[in-house]
This record gives sequence, C-alpha cells and structure tokens, in this order.
Amino acid sequence: MKKAVIFSMVTALVMATVAAVQAQQRDGISIVGSSTVYPFATVVAEKFGKAGTFKAPKIESTGTGGGFKLFCGGVGIQHPDISNASRAIKASEFEACRKNGVTDIVEVKIGYDGIVVANSKKTPALKLTSKDIFLALAKEVPDPKGGENLVANPYKTWKDVNASLPNVKIEVLGPPPTSGTRDAFIELAMEPGALKFEPLKKLSKEDAKKFTKLFSSIREDGAYIEAGENDNLIVQKLGANPNALGIFGFSFLDQNTDKIQGSFVDGNQPTFENIASGKYPLSRPLFFYVKKAHVGVIPGIKEYLAEFTSEKAWGKDGYLSEKGLIPMPDAERKQVAENVKATKAMTEVK
Amino acid sequence: MLTLTRMDETALAHTMVETDSKPRSGDDPGKRRVSREIRETVGRVTVDDPRMVCRNVNVYYGDKQAIKNVSVDIGRNEVLAMIGPSGCGKSTFIRCLNRMNDTIDGCRVTGEIILDGTNIYDKSVDVVPLRAQVGMVFQKPNPFPKSIYENVAYGPRIHGLARNKAELDECVETSLRKAGLWEEVKDRLDHPGTGLSGGQQQRLCIARTIAVNPEVILMDEPCSALDPIATSVIEDLIDELRIQYSICIVTHSMQQAARVSQRTAYFHLGDLIEVGPTGRIFTNPSHQLTQDYITGRFG
Amino acid sequence: MNNTLSPPAASPPRRTIEIVNRSLKRRYRAERRFRFYGLLAIMLSVLFLALLFASIVGKGYSAFWQTSIRLAIFFDPEVIKKDTLVNADYAALVRESLFKRFPQVEERQDKRQLTSMLSSGSVYRLRDMVLQDPDLVGKTAEVWLPADDDMDMLIKGHFRRDLPESERRVSDKQIAWIERLEAEGRLERRFNTMFLTAGDSREPELAGIWGAVSGSFFTLVITLVLSFPIGVAAAVYLEEFAKKNRWTDLIEVNINNLAAVPSIVFGLLGLAVFLNFFGLPRSAPLVGGLVLTLMTLPTIIIASRSALTAVPPSIREAALGVGASKMQMVVHHVLPLALPGMLTGTIIGMARALGESAPLLMIGMVAFIVDIPKGFTDSATVLPVQIYLWADSPERAFVERTSAAIMVLLAFLVVMNAGAIILRKKFERRW
Repeated sequence: MKKAVIFSMVTALVMATVAAVQAQQRDGISIVGSSTVYPFATVVAEKFGKAGTFKAPKIESTGTGGGFKLFCGGVGIQHPDISNASRAIKASEFEACRKNGVTDIVEVKIGYDGIVVANSKKTPALKLTSKDIFLALAKEVPDPKGGENLVANPYKTWKDVNASLPNVKIEVLGPPPTSGTRDAFIELAMEPGALKFEPLKKLSKEDAKKFTKLFSSIREDGAYIEAGENDNLIVQKLGANPNALGIFGFSFLDQNTDKIQGSFVDGNQPTFENIASGKYPLSRPLFFYVKKAHVGVIPGIKEYLAEFTSEKAWGKDGYLSEKGLIPMPDAERKQVAENVKATKAMTEVK
Repeated sequence: MLTLTRMDETALAHTMVETDSKPRSGDDPGKRRVSREIRETVGRVTVDDPRMVCRNVNVYYGDKQAIKNVSVDIGRNEVLAMIGPSGCGKSTFIRCLNRMNDTIDGCRVTGEIILDGTNIYDKSVDVVPLRAQVGMVFQKPNPFPKSIYENVAYGPRIHGLARNKAELDECVETSLRKAGLWEEVKDRLDHPGTGLSGGQQQRLCIARTIAVNPEVILMDEPCSALDPIATSVIEDLIDELRIQYSICIVTHSMQQAARVSQRTAYFHLGDLIEVGPTGRIFTNPSHQLTQDYITGRFG
Repeated sequence: MNNTLSPPAASPPRRTIEIVNRSLKRRYRAERRFRFYGLLAIMLSVLFLALLFASIVGKGYSAFWQTSIRLAIFFDPEVIKKDTLVNADYAALVRESLFKRFPQVEERQDKRQLTSMLSSGSVYRLRDMVLQDPDLVGKTAEVWLPADDDMDMLIKGHFRRDLPESERRVSDKQIAWIERLEAEGRLERRFNTMFLTAGDSREPELAGIWGAVSGSFFTLVITLVLSFPIGVAAAVYLEEFAKKNRWTDLIEVNINNLAAVPSIVFGLLGLAVFLNFFGLPRSAPLVGGLVLTLMTLPTIIIASRSALTAVPPSIREAALGVGASKMQMVVHHVLPLALPGMLTGTIIGMARALGESAPLLMIGMVAFIVDIPKGFTDSATVLPVQIYLWADSPERAFVERTSAAIMVLLAFLVVMNAGAIILRKKFERRW
C-alpha cells in the first residue's frame, strides 16, 4: 500500500514538472554549431555571462551541418537562436530555414581560422607547396612517367614527391571525413594543388564533377591516418612520432609551440601574422548566424552580438586572438559590426 | 449436509472393495489379500463426522496424472497419516487440501474437496480465507527471516485477528506455548527465527500456523529434516494438538505414522490403496501392496 | 587408447589404484597450470588498473593546486563608484597594482605581457569581494589572485624554460617577473578550490567541475526516482504475477535485447519523444534523466528479476501457508529478501548512467554551460561530457584538468560501487 502511494506521488510529481517545464520561458541564449567556432564562441559567452547582466549562453558543439539542422528547425524557444559555422551557409540550408519559417537570418563573419600541417620539433620543418600536398595525399595522381593518365598514388616518401624534401615515409594524421576541418583542407590545399597540373586544370573545365571527386579523394593506403575529431590527440601522436605530419586547427599549434611546428605552405609558415595578412594559404572564414525573429524575444541576444563584435573581443589585440582566432582586416570588421548593429538580415546565399 | 450425503453415495458407488465381507483371521500369513493389480481403495474412506471430504480427486501436472481418483475423509480431532513410497503422490494430495498447488504452473485439480459444505475448488472460493482455515507446516522448517515474535504475529496481523498490541502479544504467547516453544524463546522474542535450531524452527512454524487458529493443520513430512529428539518433541506436540484441530500428516516413516495417527492412508503411484485405523493397517493390511510396503518389501 | 599404451597380452591386469596413481601427477600439473594462468590473468588486470590510475593521477593531481599571485590591491573609490559596484573596471585595479610593483615596465607591449600574467578571472574575484563587503572601497588589501594558465603551467614545470623564447608561450620577461614574485613570496601554489566549486570556463584556471557534478546529480536523481520503482514493479509483475506464456517470453527477450542496445539509440529516442513530441527543453537534466532511465531500466529489471528468483520458494510457501495474499507475500517477504540484489543492480545501472555521455549528445547536454544548474530544468552538462569537452580544448592546462575530472568521476564510481557492496552486506539475510 505504502509503496503504491509513494509511486503515485512520484508519478504525479514528474507529470507536474513536465507541465511546468513546458510552460516555462527560456531566459538564456541557446547556441549550436561548429566545433571550430566553439572555442571562440564559448569565450565570448563566458565573458558575457560573467559580466552579470545576462545568463551565460549555452553552447552546443554539434558540428556546422548539425547546427544548421537544429537552427533551421523553426522559430520558438525550443529552437536555438544562433548557429556557429566554419563555412558559409549553403543554399540548401538557407532554403530549409525558409521553409520552417526562419526567414530573417543575420550572417556574422567573425574572423579566420588557419589549418596547419605540423610536425614535431625534433625534426626540421617541411617546406611544402600545395602541389606537394596534393601529390602526397590524393588517391589518384597524374602518372609520374608523363602523359595524361591517372594512376593510384605511387609515392611512398616525401622525397618521391619532391626531391627537395627529406627521405621519410609519408605519414599524415588528419581529421575524418565528417570533420569540417577536412572539408576546408581539401578545398584550400588539395584543390589548388590539383590545379597546378595542366591536364587536371583542363579536366576541371570540362568535367567539374569528376575533378571534384579527384581532388577530394584522399588516399586510403595507410599514408593518411584518420585520427578522430580530437585535435589534442593528433598533437600528442606527433610528439611520439617525429616523422609524422598532422592536420588540425591553428589554435592547437598556438598552444603547443614548444612541441610542434607548422610546415611552410607555398613559402609561408602558419603564424598569426601570416594568416591575418592572407600570406598563408590554408585559412578559412568563420561565421555565426543569428535568428532575427529571436532578437528582442530571448533576452541578451543583441548584447551578446555587441560583445562578440567589440574590439576587445575580435579586435587585433582582443581576447579571441589570444585563443587563436585570426581577426579580419579593420575595414571588414567595421563593416560587419555595422551590419550586426542594424541586424541586417541576409537576402540570399552568395 | 445434503451435498455430503450425495457425495457419500457417489463415493460408495465406485470406490470401495469392502473388506469386511472377506474372511479375517488375525495374522494368518496365508490370509487372502486384495491382489497387487487392483487399484481401487480398500477400507472405509468415510468417517462419521468428517471435517473435510475429498471425492474423486485427480491431479494433473501438465499431461501427467499425479493423483488418480482419490476419495477420503478427514475426521474431527483425529490425525490422519499418509504414507507411501517416494513419488506416490502423498505430498501432492496434501497440498490440494489448502490449494497450495495453485502456485504450481500447469497443475490441474478435478474432483471435489468439501470443507464446511463448499467445494474449495469452487470458483467462488477465495484461497486466502481457506488457508487461514487450513494451515500448513512444511517439510523444511521455513521461518521468515524476521524475529521470532514477528514470525508468529504475522498471520494474526495480516488477518486482523488481534485488535491491539496486548491481544497480539497474548496470541503470540499462547501459540508458542501450544507449540511447546515458549519456555525456550520467551527471553529472546526479538531474535531472528532463523537463528533457532532445526527442531525449534519447526515448532516455530507450527506456532506460526496455529496462531491463525485454523481448523485443519496439514503437515508435509514435518520431521524429515530433524534429529530423533526434535522429532519426538514434535510428535508429542502433534498428539496434543489433536485435541483442538484436525491434523493431516504426510510422513515417509511408517513408525511415525504408527506413533501419531489414528487413521492411516497408504498411497501407491498416485492411487490411494488402503485407508483404515492405524492399528489395523500396520498389523493386518487388506491389500497386498500395503502388506508389501509395511513389511519392507519395497519403499 | 589403452591398446597403444599397454598391449593386453604383455601386461598383467592392473589395479585401478595403479592407473590412478600414474595419472595423478598429470592431474595435479594441470591444476597448477590452471591456477598459474588464473593468477597471471588477475595480475595482468591489476597491473593495467594500476597503470591507468597511475597515469591519470600522475597527470591530474597537479590540477588540485593552482598558482596564485598576491597583490596589494587599492580599491580606488575613483574606479568603484557606488552605482557601479557590479560594472566597475576592476581590471584597472589589478593593472595599477601590477604597475606599482613593477614600475620599470613602461612599454605598452610589456605592460600587456605583465597584465596577462594574471587570470582574467581576477576581475570577478575582486568584484565579488567588493559586493560582499562594500566597505573595502577606499582601502588597500593584500589579495591572492589566480595566475594565468600559462604561468601556472610554467610554475608546474609543464613548460620548459630552456627553450628559445619564440618556442614557448611565456616570454623571457615574464619568467623574470615570475621569478621575482616567487622570491618575494608573492607567488604560491595554493589548493585549487575553484576546481571543485566553479562551473565550466574557457580559462583553465577558472574552470571547475561543480557545474558538471550538479548536472550529474540532478540527472541521476531523475534516473533513480523513475527507474528504480518502474524497474522493480516491472520485475515483480513479470516474475510473480504474469502468466508464463509466449507474450511474457517475448517481453523477456526484448528486455534482454534492450540491455544490449547501444546507448546512443536511447539518445535518439529521447530526442524524438521527449524533445520533439513532448516539447521538453534541450540540455535539461530532466530529459537527460529520462533518457538514462530508458537506458538503465533493462539492467534494473534483469537484476531485480534474478534477485526475485533467488528468493527461496520455501519463504513464499510459508507466507501463502498462513494465508497471505500474493501481494502480501511479495511485499512482506519476497521484496525485502530480494532488495539487496535489486539495489545492487540499480546502483550498477546508476554507475553506468553516471559514466554515459553518448545518449546525452542528442539531447543537447554536450554543451558549454557556465552557470551551475540549480534545478531539473536548467541547462546542464554531466561529468563524462565535461571530461570530453576539456579533452578537446586546445589550452595545455586543460590536460591536467581533464585527468583531475576523471579522478573525480572515478571517485564517484568507486563510492557508488562501494555503496552497493555495503548495502548488500547490510541487508543481506540468511535463510
């Protein structure tokens, strides 16, 4: 008997909480999206929350695509207010948003992230070109003997790829296909590398689809090792294996300068200055997207945007740069900040 | 009472092979007994003032028939002993008397067992009051893992027999006294019942049973796990309890049956072979199988 | 066999005892071998366990100490006005104090380096002090402020000082300042209370696990409150009341299957049912608890059922024999005896739920949350998720914090499992 009473009480309690929760309003900003933007967005969120006026926003690291899926779910407190992205929104995602009533979206470009190809400090830094990277990592490359034929990647050592490189086995630790970093790496390093070959350049004009497939296919014979999403793990493995190279975000290099070094790509090392000035080629813009319909409904969104786009955050000496975010040029920052202030919604996907 | 009469008639109609009509000559070894092949019950199954009446009881475990057409009465203030070799169905039968077999999946009982004019297998009968009326003591002493007091008080408590603590205390004391355990445990009623010796545990179980004040007590080999001294204590107890209750006891020991019972029923492979006054069964059985069993030819 | 060993014609009939004696040695050898393998297996597992603990504790223990710097802070009434207690520029107080201590630092770049030696959290520390005691304004106080994580790493020896300046995150000047502060007794490694009392932060020196511990607590409360009664009720019904037929067999098979379903599936289910259908909030311990309830229920049901079957039938017969109803038999006798087993199963299920992060990913509990959750519907994260998030952070100081968080999680698991053993011992009764 007693048990039954307790049981029914518990059930009632749970029902009551459920009912209460459904009626409740959300008082904090909800942010989803890219794991690359996550380290920067969280810093802003923390400062913003600790300032005391608003609750610190909640930030989920769902990946860019997963973030847009949630973000475009609709308007209302159960849907997130902001989606972080390590690439611009796609037309298909924009369309999906529209279909669910998310019509007014404010795009905020926040800066750049560098992708580095790094190795242990125990060995000298490599001087690579995008052509070398393509030859070392593509699944199929132009026949080294000449001609227009494509052959399965025959290169075993870096010296095979380029005589000026050391005679060590090609061994690259990098992100898996699900990662945004890998997408960016393919776009920024592999594609330009492939375009250095005349026959492939011709192919890109004749059959874009085939060309895309060619430069985005990474070799699967063991030279490229998928190391999971955890960049710290790659850094640790580089320490243990001085001959291996690793591909990851600039902030991890920035934090581990005593252990690892970035390889030169097309003559420039990945330093803060080189990425900011655009000399280092492997860098990509980072964004976040704001649901305009939530501005003014969820408390603090405007203020969060103001914090993020303030000079002390994303400026040249701002605290985000300390975390590894490469700031945009002054004029561009000013332009974006003004757009944000006016919450100017984007009209179309570029 | 009307039902009872009708039952007697049906029973008589198809069970008994009357032994009274046969010549009788004491311990004559050459005496004619009912032959081994015959499975109808020999002897008088009825008593003049029965407490429980069983007629044509069949028990099936799935497809297997464990009890075949058994009819027997249990008299007031008597001890009816059930004996027989292992697997003869005596335990199965005694468990029918308070519907303990209900708990076994696939067990089916047909026939009638009448208590106070009602068939206890009738759909309208509730097993809870039935078991309060027909108590049971099991083969292995099985006190609850609670205190001695709680063991005895449990029955009265769930049935609401005591109105207050004083009444409950009194009921516990009387029951323990009747079971002959009071003197041994009165100073440690809060000790666990499982801490007692085997014989004491069994007497505790008897006390627990009689605390509910049943009318019939079923005992399923109550002494099989006990030493001779404990056994003799229990046997004396059974004899005393007979004054107040009807007792039905299953035993694998013929000597025990001879010591404690007034009537004895001999079971063989699911058949009730012979029923009769204990003295006669053990000295001059009418059925050849009974004779074989008590003389130790098998069993 | 025998023929090859001993031709029947040649050897005389042998006694059994001779054959037995002959094989005796082999039999004992086999036994010794087996015991050796067993011992080896146990030693191996103990070794790996010791390695695991050693590596985690070795990496993580230093996170419980945090480098702090003592500064004389003048709570300047010019900076802290009555109406701006909350928003005052406390960073200016820290700067002033530092510049006073190192007057020779003049260049802008150097000043930046100097101020960056202190954690950005110093500001909040000072603010809280003033809010608590407004009379401080106008006075000077010696305050221990947390050092920046890079300084902390340097002091703890995780950064090497002998590397060229360009290859480390701490400059030569900073090292010189640090050494001076150390010499003056203004730099100390103090017990890191922050780590145990604060919520998550992106600054390693400010990050704490209390937010995650609270989140785990609220989540597990929901899980326990729901899964224990439901699990026990289901087990009792299936074991004691339900008829054994094809349907109950089917249910049993399904429960056993559910226990083996990967936990992420429960996360997907939770997303579809609790978030999308019932509209419960994302990231809330309430939903996390519900999802983990689904996950632990099969474990609890299976453990409870085996605990029920272990109750000897004689106890049931005894209860039924005195006229207890089935419900009374179960509640008064069977349940108390089965309870230790059920509790053990429940605690093991809870321990598994405590260590689970995959199903919580789908319902938004893998998130950066600064505020410490105060209730079942506040946004929260849990311990294993916190570990995962820290392990993925670029800052070096998070390495030791990750290990320290693992130590805390392991401590909880050990406490829970020890609790299971104690409960079992306490309630265990002989029959």
